[in-house]
Amino acid sequence: MCIRVYVPSHAGPAIVSQPEPKSPDIGFMDRHHFLLRRLHSLSGIVPVGVFVIMHLFTNAQMMWGQDETGESTFQHEVDFIHATPALLFVEIALWGAIAFHAGLGVLYMTGIVPNVMKYRNLDNWRYTLQRVTAWVALVFIFVHIATLRWRWSMFGWFTPFYARVDAETGWTHGGEAMALPLTAYALQYSWLVVVFYAVGVLSVVFHWANGLWTAAITWGVTISKGAQRRWGFMCAGLGVALTAFFLAAMVGALKYDLDSDMTERQQKALDKVVPTWRGDAPDSSNE
Amino acid sequence: MNASQSTTSSTKTPSTVRIKVKRQDRPDTDPYWQPFDVPFVANANIISCLQQIASKPVTADGRRVAPVAWDCNCLEEVCGACTMVINGVARQSCSTLLHELVSDGTGTTDEPIVLEPMSKFPVLRDLFVDRSRMFNNLKAIKGWVPIDGTTSLGSGPKEDQASQDMRYALSRCMTCGCCLEACPQFTFDNDFVGAQVIGQALYFNMHETGAELKDDRLEAMEAPGGIADCGNAQNCVKVCPKELPLTEAIASVGRQTTVHAIKSFFTGK
Repeated sequence: MCIRVYVPSHAGPAIVSQPEPKSPDIGFMDRHHFLLRRLHSLSGIVPVGVFVIMHLFTNAQMMWGQDETGESTFQHEVDFIHATPALLFVEIALWGAIAFHAGLGVLYMTGIVPNVMKYRNLDNWRYTLQRVTAWVALVFIFVHIATLRWRWSMFGWFTPFYARVDAETGWTHGGEAMALPLTAYALQYSWLVVVFYAVGVLSVVFHWANGLWTAAITWGVTISKGAQRRWGFMCAGLGVALTAFFLAAMVGALKYDLDSDMTERQQKALDKVVPTWRGDAPDSSNE
Repeated sequence: MNASQSTTSSTKTPSTVRIKVKRQDRPDTDPYWQPFDVPFVANANIISCLQQIASKPVTADGRRVAPVAWDCNCLEEVCGACTMVINGVARQSCSTLLHELVSDGTGTTDEPIVLEPMSKFPVLRDLFVDRSRMFNNLKAIKGWVPIDGTTSLGSGPKEDQASQDMRYALSRCMTCGCCLEACPQFTFDNDFVGAQVIGQALYFNMHETGAELKDDRLEAMEAPGGIADCGNAQNCVKVCPKELPLTEAIASVGRQTTVHAIKSFFTGK
């Protein structure tokens, strides 16, 4: 192919301000560019995405409420998870996978030029939303883990999560079933928490379902337009199912009445880990 | 009644059309805007409007200025040279007809037609950009069939119809740059190669003799700026004037790189 660049004589010399493409080798990130990109894709699907499915399905069990002893199907699921050997290492691996996916994702987002207002079409909206929901999910997941799992008190917002709490001693590795009451307490803390969780979880669900759709193209699984469309229906179905699980969990957590649904021993256990709950809890839905 | 009729007819066929051009005198100077009024001619294309401006380079406010520079060649949408951003969208100025923009059913003639150079390539002057990045990228993926040598290679390989249909579609690429202009991942100064080169990598990988260089192409595709930088916004396939199956090509090359990377991971190449 013949390359001719016509430069009008009065325009002066052609100063091509663009850097030369492809400098041969720079560093670790460039040497392993392809591998890191693919690991970024994989880390979103296998550790993080599959965990999200399990997590939301577990949460959906909150819909069934608890029996008169305070036990529930949700508690049963939580106890099962907490019985995992070396759970802390599993958790650390998961946090590591999220950090890896998020860190590379932020790096890969630098410099891109979203143009959905110029090129308005559904796919371009998906592309843009994937990146918007990435930021929302990053903030949401951090706050979610920090408040419930790491039990930080953020801006006076203290909603720790324990599976079981002893009503007499406050020991947090056995005793009353507290998974459902403590989750209900966290979500009923303020209507802002409900909004935060709705936006956060829906962002995660979109990011996961859409990421699964694009990953199939990236890895070369869905090639034809038809295949991409069919896989799109599957991913949308997954998104709808996960949204339904979330709604079930939300209904379960909000309909749980901290004043009348807890057993006396559960109330005593809650006194041990959140002494202020009686003053804070009626903030939103219990009035 | 007469008044309303004349209003209607003037809405449909205006006598002049306002064209706003984003101009730039030199590659290293700042751009600025100039409005021009050109006579409305039915079926005129944007290039004939630019020719009108060239023949009478006077702005709408009456100043005599240097004529607008642009690039063009074939005038029939097969060379790709006259690509520019017309009303915000990358397309060829030879195949963009004036009346499509002026009376596209909305009947609005007040809105000027806006012409800008492509934003992802260095501007040489006015609407004239330097597209050599695309040609350099074609070199990087060895976008050719290796047949040089001192002995006869015999007759070419046979090709089945399905492969031929796909390759014919990919062969229509005219290196115009629309797919790259519309791509949110392809920016002015990053090293992403974009849909154009990925499509051509598949085109030559599918050729029986061209496949001799398949490993080299896939390694280029796995390098920084290669296929892994695609973000699946799929604007490329929608703006491609030659209707190349670009997203299918991206997925195909994605599969080829997946297989190639796994093979080389275990065999060490």
